[in-house]
Amino acid sequence: MKHITPLIVAAALIAGFIAAPAAANPARDAIVAGFKAEAQAADSGFAGFSADRGRAIFENPHTGGEPEIPSCTTCHGKTPFGSGETRTGKKIDPMAVSKNPERYTDPEKVAKWFRRNCNTVLGRECTPQEKGDYLTFMMSQ
Amino acid sequence: MNGEGMPEKDRKIKVWDLPTRIFHWSLVTCVAIGLVTGFLSPEWWMGVHTWAGYTTVVLVVFRLVWGIFGSEYSRIETFAFTPAEIFAHIREVAFLKPRHFTGHNPAGAMMIFALIFLLFGITVSGLMVLGGEENQGPLAGAANYAIGDIAASVHTLLTIILMVLVVLHVIGVFIETKLGGENLVLSMITGFKRLPPGEKTPTPRDAHPLAATVMLVAFSTIAGSVLWAFSTMPPSGLINLPENKTYASECGDCHEVYHPSLLPAASWTQLMGGLSKHFGEDASLGQKTAINITAYLATNAAEAWDTEAANRFRNIDPAAPFQITATRYWVRKHDEVDGDVFKRKGVGGKSHCASCHKDAATGRFDDQYINIPNK
Repeated sequence: MKHITPLIVAAALIAGFIAAPAAANPARDAIVAGFKAEAQAADSGFAGFSADRGRAIFENPHTGGEPEIPSCTTCHGKTPFGSGETRTGKKIDPMAVSKNPERYTDPEKVAKWFRRNCNTVLGRECTPQEKGDYLTFMMSQ
Repeated sequence: MNGEGMPEKDRKIKVWDLPTRIFHWSLVTCVAIGLVTGFLSPEWWMGVHTWAGYTTVVLVVFRLVWGIFGSEYSRIETFAFTPAEIFAHIREVAFLKPRHFTGHNPAGAMMIFALIFLLFGITVSGLMVLGGEENQGPLAGAANYAIGDIAASVHTLLTIILMVLVVLHVIGVFIETKLGGENLVLSMITGFKRLPPGEKTPTPRDAHPLAATVMLVAFSTIAGSVLWAFSTMPPSGLINLPENKTYASECGDCHEVYHPSLLPAASWTQLMGGLSKHFGEDASLGQKTAINITAYLATNAAEAWDTEAANRFRNIDPAAPFQITATRYWVRKHDEVDGDVFKRKGVGGKSHCASCHKDAATGRFDDQYINIPNK
C-alpha cells in the first residue's frame, strides 16, 4: 500500500492533465477561490460551482440589458472555442481556457469585464455564484 | 524672298514657334487635368491635381519669359494693344468685318492676359489651400487652416471664372476662324498662318533661346529657393502627440483608437463621464484609468490642432456630441460613398476610419492616403 499511494497520485495527476488540458494556473485558481468565498458568504447553502450553469449563462439569451446584445455569444461567438467580434468589428480571442490559456489570470481584468459585460447583457451585476459558474465552464472547455 | 514669288492666296508665314505651340497644348492638358481632378475625380487624385498645378506655374512662367525672348509673334510687345485699338477691334468684330492681325488680335491678347492672371491666382491660392487645409506642400508651415479655408474659396471662384473664359476663348477662336477664313486651331498645331492678299510680307524677329533659358533658370532658382525656405517650416497646427498606452489598450480593446483631435475637449470629457452607457454598452473604467485617459484626450483634443479634421470635427452634432460619424462634415464628406462600401469586410463599418484612411492614426486624413478596400 505504501508504494501504491504515489502511483495513485501520479495517475490522478496524469489523468487530470489529460482530462483538463487547460493547465491549472494559481492566479486563476485564486480568482475562482475568491468568488467561492464571496458566494459562501452570500449564501450559507452554497454547494459549489457548476460548469452546466456556466454554459447556460454563456449561451442563453438574457433580458434587462442592452437589447442589441442579449447574450454573451452575441459578441463572443457561438462557442467558447472560436473568436468573437465586438459590435465595431474588433476581434475577440476565444473564451475557452484550452484555446486561450491567458484567460482569467488577471483579477483586475476579470473584475472589469464581469462588471461591464454583466451590466451590458443582464442589466445588473453578476452574483459570485454566476461568476464562479461561468469561470468553471470556461475552464472545462 | 519670303513667299514673294508665289500666288498671293498661298502666301504663308510662320507665326507660332514650336515652344509657343508646345506651351499652348501643354497648358490645355494641365488645365483639363486640373479641372477633372478638382471637380470630378475622387479625393485621392489630389496628388495628380497638385502636379497639374505645379506644371501650370512652370508653363505660365515660361510663357512670360518667352513673351520677352521668343520669336516675333510670341513677344508680349506685339500684342500689347492700346485701349483705342481694342475698342476698334471689338467694333469691327461686331460689324463682322475685323481687320486682319498676323499674330494675336486685341481680343485674343486680352484673353491671354486674363488667363495668365487667373492661372497665377489659381495656382497661388491652390498652394495656400494645400498648405493651409492639407498641411502639405511648401506652405504647410506658413499657411494656417483659416488662410487655407479662405484660399479655397478664392481657388474655386477663380476656377469658375477660368472655365467661363475658356468657353469664351473657344467661341472667340470659332468666330475669328469663321470671319477670317483661317483655321486657328490648325495654326496653333502647324504654326503657320496665311497672309491676306495685299498684306506686306513682314520680317519677323527670331527667338533668343539662350537668353530665355538663362532667365528661366534664374527665376526657377530664386522662386525655388523661396519655396524651399518656406518648406523648411514645420507644418502648422500639428502638435507632437505623446503616446498613451492606457488609452490605446483600454479603448482599443473594443474599437479603433481614435485620434484625440477628432472631437473637441468638451465632447471627450462628456464621453468619458458616461462610459457606463457607452453607445449602449457598459465600458466603465477604474477611476484612475478614466482620469488619465480623460486628461490625455482633453489636452490633445481638436482645439489643440489646426488640421482639417480637427477644424471640421469641432462642429459636433449637438444631438450626438461624441459621435464623429454624426457630424455634418463627416456626413457630407461620406455622402458620395456608397452604403455598401461600409458593409465590405475590409472596411467593417463607419467606425473604422483606418480601413480607408491609411493615415488615420496621425489625425491628418490626407486625401492621397484614402484607399477604399474593394472587398
